[in-house]
Formats: sequence, C-alpha cells, structure tokens
Amino acid sequence: MKLEKDDLILLYRNMVRTRKLDELTIKGLQEGKVLSFYHSGQGSEGLAVGSAACLRKDDYLWGHHRGHGIGYLIGKGLDGKAFLAEHYGKVTGSCLGISGFHFAEPEYGALGAAGTIGSQFPISLGWGLAAKKTGKQQVVLACFGDGGSNRGTLHEAFNLAAVWKLPIVWLCDNNGMAQYTPIKDTYPKDDIADLAGGYNMPGVVVDGMDIMAVYEAVEAAVDRARAGGGPSLIEAKTARYRSHSEGSPDVSHTVTRSEAEIAELKKRDPIETFKIKLLKQGVLTEEMVDQINKEADEEIIETEKFSLDSPPPEPSILNKLIYAE
Amino acid sequence: MKQTVYLMAINEALEEEIKRDEKVFIIGENVQQGTFGVTSGLVQKFGTERVMDTPLAETAVAGAAIGAAMAGFRPVADMMFADFIYIAGDEIMLKAAKWHFMHGGKVNVPVVIMAAMGGGMKIGAEHSMCPEALIMHTPGLKLAVPSTPYDAKGLLKTAIRDNNPVIFFYNKGLLGLPGEIPEEEYLIPFGQADIKREGSDVTVVAISRMVHMALEVAEKLKDKVSVEVVDPRTLEPLDIDTIVESVKKTGRVVIVDEDNRRCGVTAEISAQIFETAFDYLDAPVQRVAAADMPIAAGFLEDYVLPQPKDIEDAIERVMA
Repeated sequence: MKLEKDDLILLYRNMVRTRKLDELTIKGLQEGKVLSFYHSGQGSEGLAVGSAACLRKDDYLWGHHRGHGIGYLIGKGLDGKAFLAEHYGKVTGSCLGISGFHFAEPEYGALGAAGTIGSQFPISLGWGLAAKKTGKQQVVLACFGDGGSNRGTLHEAFNLAAVWKLPIVWLCDNNGMAQYTPIKDTYPKDDIADLAGGYNMPGVVVDGMDIMAVYEAVEAAVDRARAGGGPSLIEAKTARYRSHSEGSPDVSHTVTRSEAEIAELKKRDPIETFKIKLLKQGVLTEEMVDQINKEADEEIIETEKFSLDSPPPEPSILNKLIYAE
Repeated sequence: MKQTVYLMAINEALEEEIKRDEKVFIIGENVQQGTFGVTSGLVQKFGTERVMDTPLAETAVAGAAIGAAMAGFRPVADMMFADFIYIAGDEIMLKAAKWHFMHGGKVNVPVVIMAAMGGGMKIGAEHSMCPEALIMHTPGLKLAVPSTPYDAKGLLKTAIRDNNPVIFFYNKGLLGLPGEIPEEEYLIPFGQADIKREGSDVTVVAISRMVHMALEVAEKLKDKVSVEVVDPRTLEPLDIDTIVESVKKTGRVVIVDEDNRRCGVTAEISAQIFETAFDYLDAPVQRVAAADMPIAAGFLEDYVLPQPKDIEDAIERVMA
C-alpha cells in the first residue's frame, strides 16, 4: 500500500506519542508511581510504530518487551491510558492493575504479554495455527529481541510454523544488548535473519531506525503471510538508548556504556531522522511539528491524570480470576 | 451399558467431542498412529486438520495448543508421557495456568493437556512418573486422574468443555482395564469423588492405578477389616468433603498415591484431613506413596513405587 501524506504524518505522530509516553513512564517509576519494572523502548519507536501500522485490527500482536509493547499498541490504534494505569497498579489498567506491565487487549489481537522471554515463539505459533484454521486471513506479528533469539523455543516454533506455512511474521528487535550482555558474545554470526534459511523462509535485515524501511519489509511479509505464503523473519537493527530496565546499570558485561557511545546511537534516532525527511519532502512543516508535539504533551497530561485519578483494585477480584466461568 | 476398556473410553470421548464441536482438535507427537492407542483411528475419521502430528518438539506442541486455545479453539494436546510435561513447563505452568488471571480475566485458555502417567512398566525414571503434585501445586490448572473407563470418558468430555486449562493424566497401567460405560452420552462433573467400595473401619483414599491396588487389598482383608475406598477422580478441584465424610464415619484413613511422598498429593490430602477432621481421627493418618527418589527401572521399580503390601501394612498400622 502506498502511504499518503496523512499516513506519513500519523507514523511520525505515533512515534512522538510513543516516546513521550515512554518518558512519562520513566518519570512515574522515578516518582514511585509505577509499581513494577520499566524497560524503556527509546530507540525502537520506528520499529514498533512502523510494523504495527501494517496490521489489521484483528491481526494478532505479540509486542516486544521494550517499551512494554506500547509502540506496537499505539501503532495499532490504542492510546496509552490503560497502559499507564496498569503500570500504576490501577483497576482501570489493561489487566485491572494486577499484571504489573503485561498488557492484554484482545480486541486489538493482543492476547497477552509474558514475563518469560522466548515464550512468544510457541504461543505465537498457536495464534498462527488458530489464524490459519479460522481462515480469515489474519496474521500474527510476533516480536522478540536479540536476547530472545537465543532461546531454543525459537527453533521449535520457526520449524513448525514453516512446516505448516502459518501466517506469522517473526520480527526481531536487535538492539545489540540482552540486559547486560552484547549479542556479539551470544550468537556466532552477524545477522539473526540468517536463521531463516534453516527453515526455508525469507529472512531480511532492515535498518530498524528507519521507519519506512521497517514498514516496507513488514508489509511485504504480512502480505505474503496473508496470501498463504507462510512465515518470514525480519531482523531490525535498532539501538537501546537506556539501561535494560530503569534503575539498573547501563553496562556491557561489567563495563559502563559511555555517553559517547549512546550519543552515537542517537544520531540514528528514528523520530528525528524521519522528521528531517518529512520536512525536506514538504510533508511536514516546523509549525506542524510543534503542533504534533503540543498535542502529544496534552495527551500525556491527560493520560497521567487518568491513571492518578483511578482507584486501585479490590482484593475481592482475585479469587474470581483464578478460573474462567 | 456396554463393555469397553480404559483406552477406548478415552478414544470415544475424543471422537464424540471432535464430532460435537468444530473447535476441538488433537495435536501431538504421533497422535495419528497413537503411542498408547488413545488417539488411534481418529485421523481416518476426521482427517489431518483435526488430528495433527507434530515434530518431536514439546514446547511447540504445548505452545501451539495453548496459543490456539487463547485464540478460540479447544485443543487437546497429547504429550505422550507425563514426564514430558516438564519440557513444556513455561507453556503449561506459566502461560496456560496464569494468563487468565494475570490478564484480568480477558483471556481464556480452554486447553486439555493429556499424558500417560504411572509405573508398572519398569521403564525408569523419565517414563514412569506421576507428576500430579506439580500440577496440583500450580494455581490455575485443573487436574483429572481417572481410574476406570467410566471415569476416563466422562471426565475427559468435561475437561474438553471446560473454559480453563485441564491436565488429564491417564494411566499407562490401566490402558487395557475393562469396564462398563453407558450407551448414551454422559459427563462427570469435576470435584466429585467416587466411593469405589463402601466400608466402615478404615477409609483408603486412592488415586488412579492405586484405586485398583487398594480394592485388591480391601478384598483380601475383607474378613478382618471393612475398607472404604474413596477415589477423588479430580485432584483440582479436590472433593475434600466426601473424603472427610468418610473419615468421620471410619475414624481411620490411609492415603495412597503413586507420586512422591514428600510434598506429594498424599501430604496435601493428609494436611487437609488433619485441619478439618482431627477430632474424628482414632489414629494418625497413614500415607503410602512413591519413595523420595527417582523411579528405578527394571526389577527395582517395585521397591520405589507403592505395592499392595505397603497398603496392607498401612491399614494394619491405623487399625492397631
């Protein structure tokens, strides 16, 4: 699908909203309002927003844990209210305030989020199997990181998805770091996309900081899956600006990542580079950029207020949640 | 009523539910041929979309079933040996068990994970387990452990229709066990124990294959002791009320299970009896369970797993 001017502006707007919500969540954690972890997604906004923009509302989405998936959910049409309220432990949160940070938005095809890295492979496989059996041309966007790519579950799921030609797009957010460990010390090749060859599916590498490159690669894989062509693997080379989780040391093994190193990563910033591109193309003007930022700031204030004003859940809900009726 | 055997009762339950509900399918390694016969013959009737052979990949089997359940299907995954569920621990213990709860009730996981448990075949430590306590310990999972063809069919049909994950452990040692089942359709609700033999002197709570061992001992001792054999049939939910009623009547209880003794099913049931019926006990609760060691293959299996003599001795102890 060729993107029109409005589509491009929406991509930019959604990246800005994602970044601001990420910053708000960090602030909430620092102020003691976010009750659990936060794994910032700064640096991966282009990947999240650009890939989710290729999906239908009823397509399944396993968002990556970077940014707790919010960029993908925003890209799919959600706002940040239930996301932030969940982090604040409020009953208006995505999961009644008891999941910490694991959203579920079944109306948007997001059937849940996991605490264990690598579990996306077998479970997304099941979503893909359901999609194929249902026959409504739904696809699954199953995201994982370079750390997750080291799990054995990847191979079981890649294999079976390829054998059964399931409509799954395996999307790797390779920011080069698995918590404190760089991927160069846990994987013997340069490209995780090379794993695709072993399972007879396409594997491509894209610049994950370039939202248009992401969009084009994911769109091609989604089209192929929808048409019954089976799974694909896309590896997006991104960057992680912050530490693994807020408050944890920002180290590679035991060595602190330098400010110069982070500054170098930020030169490829997906929001800034896209903005410059759209300004050059005349799609955006400086006034429009200011307006988008202003609206995003207003949305953030509203989102925070919604979370602050919401009550926490009552203990009486818990027993009823152990089993479904 | 008609005559059948345990494995055919399971097979019939699967056949009826596949026929009844288009969302039901079977998935697992070699389920088309059927390792233990419980799924045999179904692919010829329903095709490969409903009876799906998989690679040897337990996390993929469990994950595919559990994921498809979240997305609206009612899969039955056959993990072959119960020991193999450990391989898919994340999928079963974390995803299937927790996702309804942790996502605020937004997602249901109506999956059945079935597997063959139990010793008696002398095939060793990783093919003979009864990992019941592991499941019973995990909030969010239901657990059915049928001892007869009648119970197996009725409980499996209920399991498939339940909106929650159910672990259905059939017993390798009972596959050929004959028994009667009704001609017409029937279901057995979860959480209803069955008194397999009435008696007045001692209650023996026994599970799965151990039910038959307990019945054999009860028959042997019938001139000396009147033994009541209670079969919980499901361990989660557990019908503690029926067990306690029986204990109130007899004042004595022996609990028999093939899982380990330490932190095992017998420990849990024993604790619940002590908590709720202590005043009715004329003797301390006695337990018969697998020894706290891996199950030896070959001749020494009998040394590890409960034997009729162990049950007899335990009854003697509570009657003393």
